[in-house]
Amino acid sequence: MGRAAGRLALYAVVTGVAVLMILPFYWMVVTAVSPASDILAFPPRWVPSRLTAEHFAVAFAKAPWLTYYGNSLVVAVVSVGCSLVFGLFAGYAFAVYRFPLQNLFFLLILSTLMVPVQVTSVALYVLLARLEWVDSYLGILAPNFASAFGVFMLRQGIKTIPVDLIEAARMDGAGEVRIVVTIIAPLVKTTLATVAMILFLGSWNDFLWPVIVINSQELRTLPVGIALFKDPYGSINYGPLMAATVIATGPMLLAYAVSQRYMIRGIALTGLKG
Amino acid sequence: MGWRRRGFRRRHLLHAYLFIAPVVLLFGVFRVVPAVQTLLYSVYKVELLRGRFTFVGLDNFRALLADEAFGQAMVNTLAYVAAIVPISAALGLGLAVLFDTRFRLSELFKAVYFAPMVTSTAAAAMVWWWLYNPQFGLLNVLLRLVHLPDQPWLMSSRTALTAIIIFSVWKSLGYNMIIYLAGLQAIPAQFYEAATIDGAGALARFWRISVPLLAPTTTFLLIYNGILAFQVFDQVFVLTGGGPANATNVVVLDIYRQAFERFNFGYAAAEATVLFLLILGITVVQYVYSKRFEVAY
Repeated sequence: MGRAAGRLALYAVVTGVAVLMILPFYWMVVTAVSPASDILAFPPRWVPSRLTAEHFAVAFAKAPWLTYYGNSLVVAVVSVGCSLVFGLFAGYAFAVYRFPLQNLFFLLILSTLMVPVQVTSVALYVLLARLEWVDSYLGILAPNFASAFGVFMLRQGIKTIPVDLIEAARMDGAGEVRIVVTIIAPLVKTTLATVAMILFLGSWNDFLWPVIVINSQELRTLPVGIALFKDPYGSINYGPLMAATVIATGPMLLAYAVSQRYMIRGIALTGLKG
Repeated sequence: MGWRRRGFRRRHLLHAYLFIAPVVLLFGVFRVVPAVQTLLYSVYKVELLRGRFTFVGLDNFRALLADEAFGQAMVNTLAYVAAIVPISAALGLGLAVLFDTRFRLSELFKAVYFAPMVTSTAAAAMVWWWLYNPQFGLLNVLLRLVHLPDQPWLMSSRTALTAIIIFSVWKSLGYNMIIYLAGLQAIPAQFYEAATIDGAGALARFWRISVPLLAPTTTFLLIYNGILAFQVFDQVFVLTGGGPANATNVVVLDIYRQAFERFNFGYAAAEATVLFLLILGITVVQYVYSKRFEVAY
């Protein structure tokens, strides 16, 4: 009896919170596909009276969403790719070799976690202005070519590999680069995948640095595109605005729906982005 | 053998430095140098277009102290940190306790709670901007349905910061819950069994076993969320732009405005230096306290 009541209370609380969490997403989608008269109706229309694609047409007419996708994708793929390759080699060096100033270099890399771009943006912008990298892919990528978090995670992963394995490969005449690429990389592929996922998510959703360094509309990433889609002076039309947010958030939410177990575990194990 | 060893070692030294070179160089140029330079610029007047740097001593910091907008940004940021950090930790812990039991569909619920975490803050904030609309937004519509008075949400300096905090709790709740859940599941079951045999009720078990043994998790979340909360920017930029009347202005937004809208780079660098000292402060506190809170079991 008491147990059944407890179960009921548990489900009531858990469902209530779930409704609060999902309501913004639900309302985003409903607003995006409802005719204009539904959007302003009272009481609210929880289910659209008919489905319409007109808001998507307006959103696509007002901003180049495919270009934004392309920009986000280029930035994410290049920064994740470089971070993985550089992180794998640096992680190997820190895990396997002993060399002078090793700890100093390692601390230097980790110390960058203490100074996020929120702190360094001013001088970084001045530097990139001198390099004429402002308003370019290179500008967005500059602070994201390598990841301290990636180096740290890969070093930890490589440390668990038995030294004998590396020694045996050396005996067989394998060079160090070949050892890293053909032996180490496959052994730490789980770590590589987790780091890739977290860095991709961080890059895909990054906002502050891109909004600082990008001026041209053609170079905006998705978060910048959506934030600047809201025209502060024009009349606000919520249908197209929500269609735009569906366009911007849809792919990541779909990817999450497919792989949520894996993504939650990866983020929970490692904390989010470094 | 000796010469071979030495040759080996020298070659490995070369490999070691070659392998860490890309990361060290990239971080040196794009992270470490700008960090040091930001500290340096804080005592300069920087005129970027003319390429002129004039040493002004502590003038930027003196101006900061007299600047009401920055003072307001500082107060707002501290209020934001003081609210978001304990609220999301407490709610996260509460939910984690519920999810520490086995029930049907718990994986699905967990995934739903976590979903805001993987969406871009800028895009999610745009959805909430619509929800917060005073006339047609869903929140006031729901209030009207149950005959409660409308709220001005983002439109009033009285409620705007609270509205931003509500958004941020929604965004970060899932993360806090997952981290606490991992902490709870690491506590050995025999502790609870022993306490139950000794006659401890559920509440006593929670306060006497779970909470103390979760201290390392709690410390981590407070530090991690605290550092992130000091850097709050995206949702403020989208939801209010710092308004109305500076009521939601925050430190990073002020840095952004001073540097990239008014081109006061030296002044913005002084603000960034203050932010850096705050983050450094938390890290030092963490270092001191993490030793004290370490629990062995």
